[in-house]
Amino acid sequence: MKGLAPLFLGIFGTFAFSWVGLTVIPNWQIGHLNPQSDEEGTDIYPMPQSGMVTRGARVYAANGCNYCHSQQVRAEYSGADIERKWGDRRSAPRDYIFERPALLGKMRMGQDLANIGARAPKEEESPSPAGGPSSAPQAAAASPGTVASAKAASPPQATSPSPPTAPATSPGAIASKPPTSPGPAGPPPSKSPAAAAAGGTSPAAAASPPSAGPPWPEQTAGLPPMYSAAWHHVHLYSPRSINLDSNMPSYRFLYQTRRISDARSSDALQLTGSDAPPEGWEIVPTYDAKCLVAYMMALNQSHPLKDVRSPGASAASSPATSPSPAPGGQPAK
Amino acid sequence: MNATGIPLKEPAISAAAGDTEQFERALIDASTRVPVLIFYTSAVAWLILGTLLAGFVSFKLHTPDLLSDISFLTWGRVRPVHMNVMVYGWASMAGMGTAIWLMARLCRTVLRYPLLLVAGAGFWNLGVFLGVCGILLGDSTGYQWLEFPSYAAIILFVAYTLVASWAVLMFRFRRGEQIYITQWYLLAAFLWFPWLYAAGQLMLFVVPVQGVLQAAVGWWYANNLLFLWFGAIGLGTAYYMIPKVIGRPVYSYHLATIGFWSYALFSSWTGMQRLVDGPFPAWMVTASIAATILTLIPVATVGLNHHMTMQGYFPLMRYSPTLRFTVFGAMSYTVFSLVGVLISLRSVARYVNFTQASIAYSHLGLYAFFTMVIFGSMYYIVPRLIGREWRYGSLIKLHFWASAYGIGLMTLMLLAGGLTQGTGMENPSLAFSESVESVLPYLRGRSLSGILLTVSHFVFAYHFGLMLFGLGRKSTVPTFLNPVEAEGAEVAH
Repeated sequence: MKGLAPLFLGIFGTFAFSWVGLTVIPNWQIGHLNPQSDEEGTDIYPMPQSGMVTRGARVYAANGCNYCHSQQVRAEYSGADIERKWGDRRSAPRDYIFERPALLGKMRMGQDLANIGARAPKEEESPSPAGGPSSAPQAAAASPGTVASAKAASPPQATSPSPPTAPATSPGAIASKPPTSPGPAGPPPSKSPAAAAAGGTSPAAAASPPSAGPPWPEQTAGLPPMYSAAWHHVHLYSPRSINLDSNMPSYRFLYQTRRISDARSSDALQLTGSDAPPEGWEIVPTYDAKCLVAYMMALNQSHPLKDVRSPGASAASSPATSPSPAPGGQPAK
Repeated sequence: MNATGIPLKEPAISAAAGDTEQFERALIDASTRVPVLIFYTSAVAWLILGTLLAGFVSFKLHTPDLLSDISFLTWGRVRPVHMNVMVYGWASMAGMGTAIWLMARLCRTVLRYPLLLVAGAGFWNLGVFLGVCGILLGDSTGYQWLEFPSYAAIILFVAYTLVASWAVLMFRFRRGEQIYITQWYLLAAFLWFPWLYAAGQLMLFVVPVQGVLQAAVGWWYANNLLFLWFGAIGLGTAYYMIPKVIGRPVYSYHLATIGFWSYALFSSWTGMQRLVDGPFPAWMVTASIAATILTLIPVATVGLNHHMTMQGYFPLMRYSPTLRFTVFGAMSYTVFSLVGVLISLRSVARYVNFTQASIAYSHLGLYAFFTMVIFGSMYYIVPRLIGREWRYGSLIKLHFWASAYGIGLMTLMLLAGGLTQGTGMENPSLAFSESVESVLPYLRGRSLSGILLTVSHFVFAYHFGLMLFGLGRKSTVPTFLNPVEAEGAEVAH
């Protein structure tokens, strides 16, 4: 090749083509979305987040949570995300307009977290801290003979027997098997260490979140209701106290062990077994840990979007759902 | 043609004209000595650090409680440090070292303004060091390959500006009209990188784009870094080393031209295929998938060109370390691209998109292709800078086989593991935890491959250290992997 000018022009030209095509034009297309609202200008979604949530996003990024957890729900035709109850509908660009950084993630060594906040129990329904007397009736309901009815009440939370085809290998492998084939023929339900310590299982039907949770992990007795803030703290502090098969590292450096001064702090983690602090001590979250949990509790894409058709069930609950996508940046086909 | 009749070093030069040329070349090599060795030495140091981190990260992934209570040793911080040390510390610095040497040689002029390069290397090291500390202390930005906090990124950019302005200056002093293929790639890489890096930084941190577009810009950056920076340097180096070692011109300039421009055009449009069915306008993903498939054009032309150049000379891989590493890298480029096409197809991506398979893809590009080509070039260049030959052929062999088996095992483990993980994940009747558990045996296998790679890198660093301290062989005959005399060959040099 002779002559420098064509070489330089070509090098710049090809790159400019890619830069304009894959960043500038998309920015022009979907880079300036506004929150949606109904005709009266109420019911605005999404909303800007509080300072704690914003800081929590940075804690999430700083500790690399996004290397194992994605935050994007694919449409029902392109993956099992919705069947796994990771969301009621696919994610859309409008869901993320206040996210900075937008941590969509590319790996699922852990669950998708796009709707982890939506799976939290409703405030008023939260039962008292676990291990209380309320768990006794449910313990009976979880015996093999009545599993089917327990499952009907709250499928994912029920501590179900393992399917006969895949018997639990470890005595503590409570959460590894899905409640696919509950039945009297199954082996007796195995228990997590916490459940064993508490002497019973607690499906806690009252704590069932509105959009039913995934089959994993399962509610463990002696612990706060699943996906509540207190549960997240225990899970971050000691993932394997909740689920023996968990592959998540613990984040104990986000927590402080301190001596109880006069009364036990209301923030103190409800830990059992070997994780529990010695007598007279308590484990409390640092501010970063609180922000991180606040961020996770705010991850919620359950609000219907006009851009996106919600499959199945949610259509009934959202009259705003429209099959015709809104102009400007609809990802739907 | 059999191996015995082939010259193993430079093409035989006869008359006095050849002597002048050889003398000039030695002068040019000598002028590049200090800057290139600074880049290489830093790169090897980062390589060793990155390797140790890689082993740590790999073991932690299937042993989550290993040292997890210390904030700066948590998996989510050590992993980005490993990636960034490898990308910016090892691969970029070694690639720049090779590119600098090639630029001087191909411009046929002694290296001018070495201080620009020395300062560039210094600032680059400082930038990587600060970035690593920043991530460990919890300042990571969370975007793949852009995790370095802004105070480190700005230093890297300054360092890069010094190196790139040197490259442009050198180009002005070149002698001769013809611009060789390698120079197209190198010049392109030197110009693409700053635009890419600046665009990524500006659109993510200075004037951040909205929402999902941040993720799109992030993946556009990461993929283009792989193709337009590392890929371009790697291909350019292979275009120099293969013809040089076997002493034969490139098979076809026309093919090379097609290969270069189609590479520039198509590979720069990839990136979004890694977000198949994410919350983006579908045309973006489709465009990237199409571009990924179209990269088969440069793959075919480049591969064919190298193959036809090598035709009849493949037995030389038995002797020349440079050739063996470079040809392995060039072949891996084909494999890398084929795997890239395969995992970007929607029907396959559905299963492997969120799994370890994408890690396999990155390692194929950065290691099996780029790093192997750069190893090859270092085996060629370092003796010419130091005036000694590599001390042990056996160590080079060990390095090659440990690297080749290591990266081969890693790729297989991650691809197979990713597929297993993905099919489990796509089957909603299986608990999610089963998809995670099903990949753990493969991750242990990957850790095994990490041990092989660690061995190979330590062997290489030791050998490189011997060279650096002047403990290489004093000889005019390069170090061969197998004794040439035993085959009854006449070595021409």
